Amino acid sequence: MKKLSFIVCFAITIIVVSCSSSIKRSPNNAYMPDMAYSRAYETYADHSNLQKEGINYTNTPVAGTIARGEEFPFPYTHDAIGDTTNYSASRAAKNPFDSLSAADFKEVERLYLVNCGICHGKDLDGNGPLWKDGSGPYPAAPKNLMTLHMPDGQMFYSITYGKGQMGSYASQLNRKERWQVITYIKEKQKEQAAN
Amino acid sequence: MIIRQIAKTILLSTIILLSASYSNKATAQEGKTIFNTYCAACHKMDKDLTGPALMGVEERWGNDREKLVAWVKNSANLIAAGDKHATDIFNKWNKLPMAPFETVLKDAEINAVLDYIKDWKPEVPIVDNNANQTSSDKNSLLLGIITLALALAALILLFVKRSLKKLSNEALDVTPVKAIPVWKNKSYIALAAILLFVVGGYFTTTSAIELGRNKGYEPIQPIFYSHKVHAGVNQINCLYCHGGAEKGKHANIPSVNVCMNCHKSITEYSGEQLYNIDGEKVDGTAEIKKLHEYAGFDINNANAWNPNDAKSIEWVQIHSLPDHVYFNHSQHVVVGKVECQTCHGEINKMDEVKQFTDLSMGWCVNCHRETKVQFKENGFYSIYEKYHNELKNGKLDSTKGITVEKIGGTECQKCHY
Repeated sequence: MKKLSFIVCFAITIIVVSCSSSIKRSPNNAYMPDMAYSRAYETYADHSNLQKEGINYTNTPVAGTIARGEEFPFPYTHDAIGDTTNYSASRAAKNPFDSLSAADFKEVERLYLVNCGICHGKDLDGNGPLWKDGSGPYPAAPKNLMTLHMPDGQMFYSITYGKGQMGSYASQLNRKERWQVITYIKEKQKEQAAN
Repeated sequence: MIIRQIAKTILLSTIILLSASYSNKATAQEGKTIFNTYCAACHKMDKDLTGPALMGVEERWGNDREKLVAWVKNSANLIAAGDKHATDIFNKWNKLPMAPFETVLKDAEINAVLDYIKDWKPEVPIVDNNANQTSSDKNSLLLGIITLALALAALILLFVKRSLKKLSNEALDVTPVKAIPVWKNKSYIALAAILLFVVGGYFTTTSAIELGRNKGYEPIQPIFYSHKVHAGVNQINCLYCHGGAEKGKHANIPSVNVCMNCHKSITEYSGEQLYNIDGEKVDGTAEIKKLHEYAGFDINNANAWNPNDAKSIEWVQIHSLPDHVYFNHSQHVVVGKVECQTCHGEINKMDEVKQFTDLSMGWCVNCHRETKVQFKENGFYSIYEKYHNELKNGKLDSTKGITVEKIGGTECQKCHY
């Protein structure tokens, strides 16, 4: 009888240990939660009820705000669907960066590889990892940037507002970075033409 | 003489025929190349993109090849001429004009593309009937049955032993001494108390240490977003979505428009079958549909999508530091040149993100003690001239380098203030 009770106890322990899952779907408790979790509003916290509490808050900067070191705003707004007036007019916009210093070139190349290369390819040939000669998951062929001859302003329009299947990159690259990426593409084209 | 002439004609015609068929083949191949270069940016065969799906385009145009070529060359002319089908398409696609190709492509090339479109057939997916994953299920079932059988055998043996002992006792006429029950035996009680103290103490201590720490935490997210598919298989850079990691304190969670940069076009998941951590199958296409719902995106009217309609996806935060700790991503990623994987683990191999480290203070401090400062080509540290000189004249061992601790990386107020 004694042995039987031992075996039963042992079996129960084994079952309990083996059944308790190692997948942690909920967080641990915290010691002093008021110190662990912020009393103030944190990034990404729901702040939809601020107005109700008499707190005025806007999560976008006031219109016309220019950050320090940022380029001047692009004067052309996004065309309505089916309209191409501003897209055509944007040809006139001038790129403030004629050329890139060696250090800038390296940095902008990195930005290009992070944000653009995934579709347009590291060689700018429109064959990035997402297209892979048509075998990648992306259904539309990205533009071959080496053979793309487009005025800088129009390229800036396309990067800022998106064009065709390409989305807007305004949230990922600031104005300076967008202009510099365009300069980078043009310099790469020149490099190729020289060879 | 006549025979010779006939033979000559036959030979010549075969050559012409052969070359014709060969050149035909060449144009079909050419058609595919031209399609991928000029058309594929806006058109797909079996799916609407910026422009309509092209499969069966000739039938839709009433098999009028000439008119179709004219459309490709310059669609505006055809619309201006008042062609009904042309106007209908133009209106259906939100008056988004197709770029004219008359200066880019020759008629023969357009025809080659149209031939390619005509001959194109959707690939039939190969269905693999011999699914492998059932074998592991079978294995575990077999193991379960074996375990059960063995347990049963052990129980039977135990009973047999008991009755045998009883029988032998009866045969020898021995009255068994009545044992003291376990719960009254003092040595057992003492043993149990010690055991309880040790085991209970161990569990209490470890779980007290674990308070507020979440190593291995992997909550269920509103969308089954696989980092393995995005950052692993498709090689998207971490900074594409989490660009904030090099710009400020937070490695931002991408807003829906960043997802839609690709998922405006990628509406189906076609990679390897996905499984969640519980081993259940996950339908990738259904997960993309969830994203489209958040984005307010209608697949059938893709061009009319307005990013401002998007609702934010409320992802569950995994990595969280207590409120009294200051941590800055850009300081670590840009200045410290620390790889994302150092703290977050091999995210590019995780379907569901799991907290890789416990993010405890001991862990932070340990890294600050061991990590060498990346002085090279690092403007941020140019002020550390003294160390620079000491390294130069050999006062400091340059092979050991200078750890973060040496430049104040373990001072309390670095992270707590």
